[in-house]
Amino acid sequence: MKTTEIAIIGGGPAGLSAAISGASSGAKVTLIDRNYSLGGQLKKQTHKFFGSQKQYASTRGFCIANILEDELKKYGDRVEILTNATVLGLYEDKVITIEQDKQYKKLKPEKIIVATGASEKFLAFPNNDLPGIYGAGAVQTLMNEYGVKPGNNVLMVGAGNIGLIVSYQLIQSGVNVKAIIDAAPQIGGYLVHASKIRRMGIPILTSYTIKYAHGKDAVEKATIWKIDENWEPIPNTEMDFDIDVICISVGLSPLADLLWQIGCKMEYIPELGGHEPIRDDNLETNISGIFIAGDVGGIEEASSAMVEGRLAGLCAAKSLGYYYGDYEERRKDLIDQLISLRSGPVGDKIRSGLRKVII
Amino acid sequence: MRIDEHPILSFKRVEKIKFVYNGKEYIGFKGDTIASALHAAGIKILGHHPETGRARGFYCAIGNCSSCLMTVNGEPNVRICIEELKEGMVVETQKGKGRLR
Amino acid sequence: MLIKTGIPTNEDIKEIVPSKERRGKGPVAIIECFQEIPCNPCYTACKFGAIKEFENINQRPIIDFQLCTGCGQCLTKCPGLAIFIIDESYSDTEALVQIPYEFLPLPKEGIFVTGLNREGKPICRAKVVKVKQGKGENKTSVITLKVPIEYSMEVRFLNIEDYFSDNTIICRCEGITLGEIKNLIKEGYETIDEIKRISRVGMGPCQGRTCRHLLLQEIAKETGQNMKNMPMSTFRPPIKPINIGIIAGGEDDE
Repeated sequence: MKTTEIAIIGGGPAGLSAAISGASSGAKVTLIDRNYSLGGQLKKQTHKFFGSQKQYASTRGFCIANILEDELKKYGDRVEILTNATVLGLYEDKVITIEQDKQYKKLKPEKIIVATGASEKFLAFPNNDLPGIYGAGAVQTLMNEYGVKPGNNVLMVGAGNIGLIVSYQLIQSGVNVKAIIDAAPQIGGYLVHASKIRRMGIPILTSYTIKYAHGKDAVEKATIWKIDENWEPIPNTEMDFDIDVICISVGLSPLADLLWQIGCKMEYIPELGGHEPIRDDNLETNISGIFIAGDVGGIEEASSAMVEGRLAGLCAAKSLGYYYGDYEERRKDLIDQLISLRSGPVGDKIRSGLRKVII
Repeated sequence: MRIDEHPILSFKRVEKIKFVYNGKEYIGFKGDTIASALHAAGIKILGHHPETGRARGFYCAIGNCSSCLMTVNGEPNVRICIEELKEGMVVETQKGKGRLR
Repeated sequence: MLIKTGIPTNEDIKEIVPSKERRGKGPVAIIECFQEIPCNPCYTACKFGAIKEFENINQRPIIDFQLCTGCGQCLTKCPGLAIFIIDESYSDTEALVQIPYEFLPLPKEGIFVTGLNREGKPICRAKVVKVKQGKGENKTSVITLKVPIEYSMEVRFLNIEDYFSDNTIICRCEGITLGEIKNLIKEGYETIDEIKRISRVGMGPCQGRTCRHLLLQEIAKETGQNMKNMPMSTFRPPIKPINIGIIAGGEDDE
């Protein structure tokens, strides 16, 4: 059976950063991603990132993907990259089974970093399964990765960061956004994102939810209505939009299937998007040698995912004996970066969620 | 449905790829998935649910939701949103749950 | 309320606007960042120490307007596109507003566009005086608009379409727009011949046949005159465009 020192599952912002950090500490790493190329959702992010210089602030997401990939390639032989490779199972003896190019493979690593990210949540309303109703991430993939418009007129459901960012990207691609609605009484995403869309004249309607999607074989119209403070719909507040796309952006939930498989202790933490693994400060789960990084451990911004990746890679390498004098200093710097990114009011939910899963 | 100009991105559509969808020839580009090529051609309805008969399009576009299953080169249940488009591919709407060859 | 609508309120703006005196002195950055989020590229971009070092990364930017030169470095670095440069020293009646812009097509320098407020409502006409295309990977372009001075703290986006019709063509031959004509009238040119001489309107190959009437109409409208009493332009031969050789050859009989 093939072996490696650290296997990293998922080549998005967290996984790439973990691989860089592990390899730069001296460990042999194998990075496994199910896509044809690395970068994960970073590749679709055309906006400039927030954060500070250490998290590539002010650089556009897809450029960060390239920067990280180039950095990883510096470590040459110590890095093995498996793309188009899906991890199928994770077993108690830490054996990973993989399907790559229709071949079944096994890999036995000493340490594993799970950085599988998240998937988009769905929303229950009549006719929600009509073609033309997509996850916001799907629309982002279609537009920014393949250069294809999802349609001509869009209703965006959800005013979190993803809903706001994808709305802006739709307009950049020449698509009309009729409105952005959110059931919450407040805009959930960064207000600067909201303001830059609002000044183009696109309404952001808070306390509104979708009532009905109309259409036979594809969506043609959407009816929305207002909800009161108890989240109950208010009759006679309906509004119709002629659209051919409804974009659902109601949050993400961690893709933690592999952690469940191997038996990590999981807790349901709504603030973090779903079920998350219990972990320590070094991002190691209750199963020794299984680390996590990024959205799989709780939904946050990609900036934090990158820092977590660095931290998990560093700590996994340390546990293999790759230890340098500046280890403590590097570890502290990464932990400080995370504390600082999460310290503000927009980090309230994340902090309260993390308190319940960090032991 | 292709984006021709974009303020941030540039789309290099160099190599044309011919494929067949339900007996008709279509053209996509290298780098497309089957789903993106079909969507660019205006095809959103990818099939119908085997039991309810309701129309199906993709939802996630990254291989999670499996709402985009089609028959490709005779193989049923291919998630076309993550399947690279290749020259001469034969893509068909799937009837029912598909049959193993 | 900003958090419900995405539109900063007058109270929000009041808190971040520099004094009228400072605004009149020259270009200055207006940072419309009203929420504590983990982000500091504006601080790292500022070479003049005008944006204070953040005590923590979630802090909102604090700017010293006296140190700010309005150089615009922070404008293209702000991931939220929340920074604008305004210059009220441009003239007594007009101000310049720099706006980050990430759409295609870019407006052309010299055209009139519609200035939009923070709600996206058209509020005034604006002239595009400069278009600085985003370089390298940054890609954020900066559009400088000339707006009536009272709108300098209002105009925050633009619509390339001209709702106020100032891009409407009056003279097809010379490409003279309604906006240009209106400006000339405002400057005091009030007869068709004056406007013709200063702008070449009506001096193209159609010799004014297509625009003459429109031009007269606009002058009448802007100056409140009755078209009946207004002087017409001077008519001179030749009445159609002809080969100069035909005249230079002289008359056959001579």
